Amino acid sequence: MRFADYLLLTLRSLRRSRLRSFLTISAIVVGATGVTVMLTFVTSVKNFVTQQYVQTGQIDQIQVSETPNLTYSPTGSSNGPGPQGVGNTSTLTPALEAQIAALPHVTGVAAIAQGFGSQDLAYLSYGGHELNFNNLSAYEPDGVITPTLVAGRDLGPTDTANAILVSSDYADALGFKGSYAKLVGQTVELHTDTGYTGVGATLPSVLPPQSQCNPTQGPQPGSSGPTCGPTASLPAIDLPAVVVGVMSAASDHGVIYLPLSWAIAIGNTALPAGSGIVSCGPGTRQTCPDTGQNQGQNQGQNQGQNQSGQAPGSPQIVTWTTQTATQFLAQRGGYGSLIVKVDGTDHVAAVATSIDHLGVSAATGIDALNQQKQKANAIGLILGSLGLVALFIAALGVMNTMVMSVFERTREIGVMRALGARRSTIRRLFTFEATALGFFGGLFGVIIGSVFVLAAKNVISKSVKSGSLSGANFSVPIWLIVVVIAGTSAIGLLSGFFPARRAARLDPVEALRYE
Amino acid sequence: MAIGGITLTGVTRTFQVGDEEFHALDRVNLSIDRGAFVAVMGPSGSGKSTLANIIGGLDRPTAGSVVVEGEDLAKLGDAALSRFRNKAIGFVFQSFNLKGDSTSLENVMLPLTFARMRPKQRKARATACLERVGLGDRLHHLPNQLSGGQRQRVAIARALATEPALIIADEPTGNLDSARGAEIIAMLGALNADGVTLLVITHDSAVAGHADRVVEVVDGTVREGSAG
Ligand SMILES: Nc1ncnc2c1ncn2[C@@H]1O[C@H](COP(=O)(O)OP(=O)(O)OP(=O)(O)O)[C@@H](O)[C@H]1O
Ligand SMILES: [Mg+2]
Repeated sequence: MRFADYLLLTLRSLRRSRLRSFLTISAIVVGATGVTVMLTFVTSVKNFVTQQYVQTGQIDQIQVSETPNLTYSPTGSSNGPGPQGVGNTSTLTPALEAQIAALPHVTGVAAIAQGFGSQDLAYLSYGGHELNFNNLSAYEPDGVITPTLVAGRDLGPTDTANAILVSSDYADALGFKGSYAKLVGQTVELHTDTGYTGVGATLPSVLPPQSQCNPTQGPQPGSSGPTCGPTASLPAIDLPAVVVGVMSAASDHGVIYLPLSWAIAIGNTALPAGSGIVSCGPGTRQTCPDTGQNQGQNQGQNQGQNQSGQAPGSPQIVTWTTQTATQFLAQRGGYGSLIVKVDGTDHVAAVATSIDHLGVSAATGIDALNQQKQKANAIGLILGSLGLVALFIAALGVMNTMVMSVFERTREIGVMRALGARRSTIRRLFTFEATALGFFGGLFGVIIGSVFVLAAKNVISKSVKSGSLSGANFSVPIWLIVVVIAGTSAIGLLSGFFPARRAARLDPVEALRYE
Repeated sequence: MAIGGITLTGVTRTFQVGDEEFHALDRVNLSIDRGAFVAVMGPSGSGKSTLANIIGGLDRPTAGSVVVEGEDLAKLGDAALSRFRNKAIGFVFQSFNLKGDSTSLENVMLPLTFARMRPKQRKARATACLERVGLGDRLHHLPNQLSGGQRQRVAIARALATEPALIIADEPTGNLDSARGAEIIAMLGALNADGVTLLVITHDSAVAGHADRVVEVVDGTVREGSAG
């Protein structure tokens, strides 16, 4: 018999027992709809997450952080020697950064620091608005880190100072909601604390009298702005900063980024040392050779030695000393983290292993992505197996329907055999019928599932404006349509196997005598 | 015994009934010439249908050989035997056995479908067969839209469709009144006149009166009956 004839006879017999066919197909539709919706959800989420990782470049990135040292050390050092002899600590130093940059397949390394500068800055002001620093971070603008922008440009290598990126919620708060491009190029002021002695500060050669504080308590390095001490009375200043770009708040909430070099210059505050006589250039920021040992801690002592005749509270002549960037970094425990860019996703794992061997922790974007994918898979597995259970029950339904059909049509089978149908023809006829039940179940399931997905898409896009899934593209992928229909057809085929074999094995004479 | 006819030699058909064996046919020897019109008569349960099914290739004998139209049926597998039924035999049943969901035309096309004939040819042939049994105006009627006599005519057209050498009719008039039955027998007689070998099982001696030869089956054995 020809294929078209099988098709015709199958459709005819499905139509003959309409209600039964409808019910059997409905059971498959339920399972197929479930599987379609659930797998669409899972694949859409996975695609969306992957797309985000690829777009932001995280897929080819490794985040390097300090390996926490859990061993108690009586000297109080929080950082023990690195296992591979990287310097003498495992902190993220410029030396380590250079070492990583030299690894094969590494195309760039950018340092990130959090907290540099934020101890010295009070608030951001622009056009009468005064805003807190919620999350003030700094990174090396060497092209490795590429924030998602909604306006303007990323920080670049030429932005060594007086440039910032703000997230769009800052832009909203500054009155640029919906017109982020207008904020780009505007100059905002970063208002420092009083007593600020970082970059841009005017350092006097004579400190004003300080009677309100114990003179032996100078500002501790790294402590938050001096509330007392010799520099406490220095005025706060405004550091101008040009907004070069606005970032999407979907990925960065309440964030301001500074170029790393500027953040270091702001945080690396100058320290006064009273000399009484000697001053190596008032208002200059330099390390004075003769007072190089004079740090804030022993300032009181110096004062006692050199200016014994001077009463506390009277003006004193000071020299200003500033650490080098490397000293500053070492004192602050290195960078917060390093972002390493690799020249291909395939090399990420190997580079991460090499970095691990340097005594620091490497977390790859791929690992993070895979974790997210695994989560999606786990959800998909749970939901999908519910669909599979439904499909399994539907398969029993198909089997039942086919067994009934063979019983009912026993006599017809006998007639067909008498007219020249082979056993194989009879078997194929019933197999075809069962497969058709599965096929139509899958087809309608995919159609109904797509309608559900479409409806869900509208609901999600209306209710979740800035949620993490707002950008996900929920649509039933073509492969899923093919897989579902092929799958339900296969279920029909398998369910029809035994009934069809039974039909084919009927004895023609017995079948003709069947009442 | 002409080549192309039917030759049964020592045909036995045994059924297992409980612990005992029951011989529905017992060492039957029978020859039927090509083009003959043979009426098979005998009491109920004597083995007439069993004989007809064995000749038609629907059933296989427990012992003995069956040669129909030069084919030794014992040597044919399922595919070949099915093909033999399709090409060489036309069955007509007492209860018509039409496909209820299909029109007259579709019922007649069914054996041609099994023969893998092209749809166009199939339709032309089936239409011709239906015209021949006088149902040229009932091509698209469903069986339940036809009278009993018309249904049996559709069944005859279906049996004719593949142009078989032998038509086996098992009590074709059993479900019809005598006038309709006479029409059917006349129609089968006309086919026989055109050269088709005809084997008609019947209880009706009037039907047997049309036959060239009457074969009587009694308790599984065959003997020559009194021709009408
Ligand atoms: N499958 C079977 N199992 C057991 N016995 C059977 C089987 N088929 C037929 N028989 C027996 O074989 C005998 C012949 O049956 P068959 O149908 O050939 O009779 P028949 O002559 O056609 O009778 P009728 O005129 O009533 O149609 C019967 O006695 C029947 O009981
Ligand atoms: Mg009988």
